[in-house]
Amino acid sequence: MKRPALWNTRWVRIGLAVLVALVLVLAPWNLDPATNQALARIGVFAVAVLGLNVIMGYTGQVSLGQIFFLGLGAYVTAYGVNEGWNVALVFVLAVLIPGVAGYVVALAAARLGGLAIAMVTIALPIIGVPLAKRLADWTGGSQGTSARFTSAPDWFGSDLDDIWQYYIVLAIAAVVFVLVTNLVRGKFGRALAIVKENEAVASSMGISPYRYKVMAFTIAAMIGGVSGFLYMVVVQYTSPETLAFHHSISLLASMVIGGAGSIIGSLIGGAYYVLVPNVTNEIDATLTSLIQGAILLIVLFVLPGGIASLPRVVRRLARKRGTQSPTQQ
Amino acid sequence: MGTFIQLVVDGLAMGSIYAALALAIVIVNQSTGMINFAQGGMAVLSAYLAYAFLGMGMPLILAILIAVAISFALGAAIERLLMRRFEGGDPDTAVVVTVGLLTLITGICGWIWSYNNLQFPSLFPGDSFTLLGAAISWRSLGTFVVIAAIMVLLQVLFQKTKVGLALRAVADNPRSSSFSGLPVGRLLMVGWGLAAALGAVAGALVAPRLSLTPGMLDGALVYALAAVILGGATSPIGVVVAAWLIGVLENLAAVYVPFIGHDLKIAVPFILLFIVLLVRPQGLFGRKTVVRV
Repeated sequence: MKRPALWNTRWVRIGLAVLVALVLVLAPWNLDPATNQALARIGVFAVAVLGLNVIMGYTGQVSLGQIFFLGLGAYVTAYGVNEGWNVALVFVLAVLIPGVAGYVVALAAARLGGLAIAMVTIALPIIGVPLAKRLADWTGGSQGTSARFTSAPDWFGSDLDDIWQYYIVLAIAAVVFVLVTNLVRGKFGRALAIVKENEAVASSMGISPYRYKVMAFTIAAMIGGVSGFLYMVVVQYTSPETLAFHHSISLLASMVIGGAGSIIGSLIGGAYYVLVPNVTNEIDATLTSLIQGAILLIVLFVLPGGIASLPRVVRRLARKRGTQSPTQQ
Repeated sequence: MGTFIQLVVDGLAMGSIYAALALAIVIVNQSTGMINFAQGGMAVLSAYLAYAFLGMGMPLILAILIAVAISFALGAAIERLLMRRFEGGDPDTAVVVTVGLLTLITGICGWIWSYNNLQFPSLFPGDSFTLLGAAISWRSLGTFVVIAAIMVLLQVLFQKTKVGLALRAVADNPRSSSFSGLPVGRLLMVGWGLAAALGAVAGALVAPRLSLTPGMLDGALVYALAAVILGGATSPIGVVVAAWLIGVLENLAAVYVPFIGHDLKIAVPFILLFIVLLVRPQGLFGRKTVVRV
């Protein structure tokens, strides 16, 4: 029997997890507020990308509408907070309302199957923006609406808002990531994998592709709602621009570049979403779209599994070289 | 009554633009089985090319024709150099590639020609004539006629010619097609080229109306996609009729349904879609496909 590699043993893994958690918890105390803000934003969009991964990476249905659920979650949060509702209730609503919206959309979209889902989901942000402008009583119209509810309490240090917000994002994002990891590794995840692989086989095994696609879409929408809540935690302001279509494309690109169907890929995707536009803007703002399109195409060409698959690819290349070199000599 | 006819006519003209893009999407879908989200972006690039030729002092019709020809070559090149790697693989990856292509092309247009609105002259005179109490512009009529003619040509191409038959065979089963001696690669390039050329026509027709910007056809693409689903993706006539239906209905809804208005009329095709899907999942004109294990 092969001995498991060092990094595969249980205790090393637990130790590594504890170490990563410690670093994540302690990090903000040594960084400046702007960096903490950026880290918190990465958390927000990592959750959004994770939601997209549930529907796209694991179920194989292209969705161009994920940003709509983030926007909806953000608007629900802003409205609830401004009405003075309990924050826990606001959170629940910010998850449930996008979930219901996702369910209704999925009922129609999942009937189509295949690429038509992508064609329907494109409508969500495109209808969402004028709708958000129109429903000004709830959304503040084109001006948008702000909600401040995440200032640090006195016992924590009232000048430490950035760290407080970072911790809220970290805590909620960690819970969502653990839940989704368990979900996709369990029975539900296996069913999704079969549906993704071959719908006809899935139905013959008694797994209804339609039902699983609707469920995956609903879960993705709920996770989108969570990311919308977190967006309000960090940004504290939302407007129709939040759910504009080009953000949805960026989210899709981030997911693919990070790695579709991968938990780590969602984190990398979140980092890509937040950090890369800053870099490309600095090079030349008119070039941003060109650079991002080029990056997406290059990654699809050379690394179809996304950045998350890089270690695997490197290892395979190394192994190939290892087996080849003796014969070449 | 005059207003009503007016709205219908304008709706048909706008629907014709959606129809041109939808037809381009159908051609690619018919020959490769994928949906090209970059279709609108490619059409915008063609319109910019025509604009550049105009700037060199060419007459409008010649500038458009050259842009259409270049678009054909460009479409074929994109298929050969970019899409071929992803054809036959996971269709979702291919869709993401076209989304990346859309971002890239939009970026290129914005980089070369800036994101500002540019004025593009119309192929048809700007004035109008009166029919049954409605003022019908030559522009609307011209757009409508051009698209109707292309639709008929395509229907003939797909149903009556050997190339059309070959294209359909390739879409249906590329392996069997290549076994029976069809040049699959070349046919795919022709399919993409045809689609790009058709998109170029749409770009040239719509640019005077919307004024030229890199994101000019994003909205039209959404309507076109709705038309493709409604029409059933397999029938050129189906998607054109669906596009006209969408154009007319959204125009009527914008005026007669107070809540919808002009800003929310883009929701109309999707409300329509939602209703149709619940009743007829294969689209208005599509055929039901049966999947066997």
